[in-house]
Amino acid sequence: MGAGKTTAIESLSEIEVVRTEANNSERHIADKATTTVALDYGEIVLDGEDKVRLYGIPGQKRFDFMWAILKKRAKGMILLVNSDAADPIAQMLTFIDEFRELYDRGGVVVGISRADVIDGPTLAEYSEALERTNPDLVIPVFTVDPRDRDQMENVLLALVLNIEMRALFGMATAASL
Amino acid sequence: MTIDVNQVAGEPASVSTGFPVTVGWTHAAMAVYSVLRLNTPVNLKMLIEMHGPLLIDFRHHAFSWSTPLELFPVDAVHTGIETEPTSADAPPYFELPGQDLDGLLWQMGINSFGGGPAYWLPAGERYRLIRWPNLTRHAHDMSQMKMMAVLGNTYVTTAELATLAGVEDADAQRLINALSLMRILSRSAVAEAAPVAKETAAAKRQSLFARLRKRLGR
Repeated sequence: MGAGKTTAIESLSEIEVVRTEANNSERHIADKATTTVALDYGEIVLDGEDKVRLYGIPGQKRFDFMWAILKKRAKGMILLVNSDAADPIAQMLTFIDEFRELYDRGGVVVGISRADVIDGPTLAEYSEALERTNPDLVIPVFTVDPRDRDQMENVLLALVLNIEMRALFGMATAASL
Repeated sequence: MTIDVNQVAGEPASVSTGFPVTVGWTHAAMAVYSVLRLNTPVNLKMLIEMHGPLLIDFRHHAFSWSTPLELFPVDAVHTGIETEPTSADAPPYFELPGQDLDGLLWQMGINSFGGGPAYWLPAGERYRLIRWPNLTRHAHDMSQMKMMAVLGNTYVTTAELATLAGVEDADAQRLINALSLMRILSRSAVAEAAPVAKETAAAKRQSLFARLRKRLGR
């Protein structure tokens, strides 16, 4: 929570983001008035026909039924990690574990938010932790400001590129494409 | 203390024929590479014409320079490179945090050796990324991102990388030099070429990346 996923979708989306928020009952974890309780939804329209659909899903465990829905359908995931969290690397690995299949086919990019204001783990430390989960995989890990459209577009492009490159080298499974 | 980069390097500078060499940043990259290989802590100062001194504190992986990296002087003339031994418990070379050294190494690597291989990269090797550089902080273009996606997934030679990414060999080499200087590149003399699925020109144009890139104006 508090990593900026609603803001990130707002930065990327070409439509007004459909937000589902409620009062935040965990102010001790993230000091903000509201938090995502269902899905945020945004879109990028390609060629006037196809769309890139963007879903922001809540990070709290009690919403894991939503994770199950998207695990099967998503082509890729931008995992936003709040550098200010109590143990951001552990939180990142928890999500990687939940979305293991997507991760193992290279469909994940990690964005570390608030890294410029918090003296947290280095990017190398995040990458080393990821490498221990799958030594054959090199996942992009970037610092990111979810409010910055250019930065979020960069992250999205890196995700899509990595997925397509793995397919080119025959590393993705047929079922994932 | 002033260092002679040719002596510190321990190897003759290997410059490909046919490429113009930008002496300034090439010598700077050679000096930095040599220092990075040392086991003893060292600070480094570069004197650059028309710019303030560039200070590097390797111990803290930081640099200090009055010129912002957005205005990186590609054709800078270096008037001196000095090293200063330090120790693990000595004060920082300048007031921290300074700037992340990776940003400087990226620019330095891209703009040295004139598009030819860095002297420490022998012919015949294949390369693969150990980790992605933080592209949020390094000015880059989409072809460089594409090359990194290749390098993140397989071992390739510079020529193979250029072909797969659709760039000139020199552009691929510049990226290899930068990533090697940043020490995020794995090198192998034995890794084999990866099998590549055939991709038609039409498929390339219709890829999600191509369409998204076009939509985003990148």
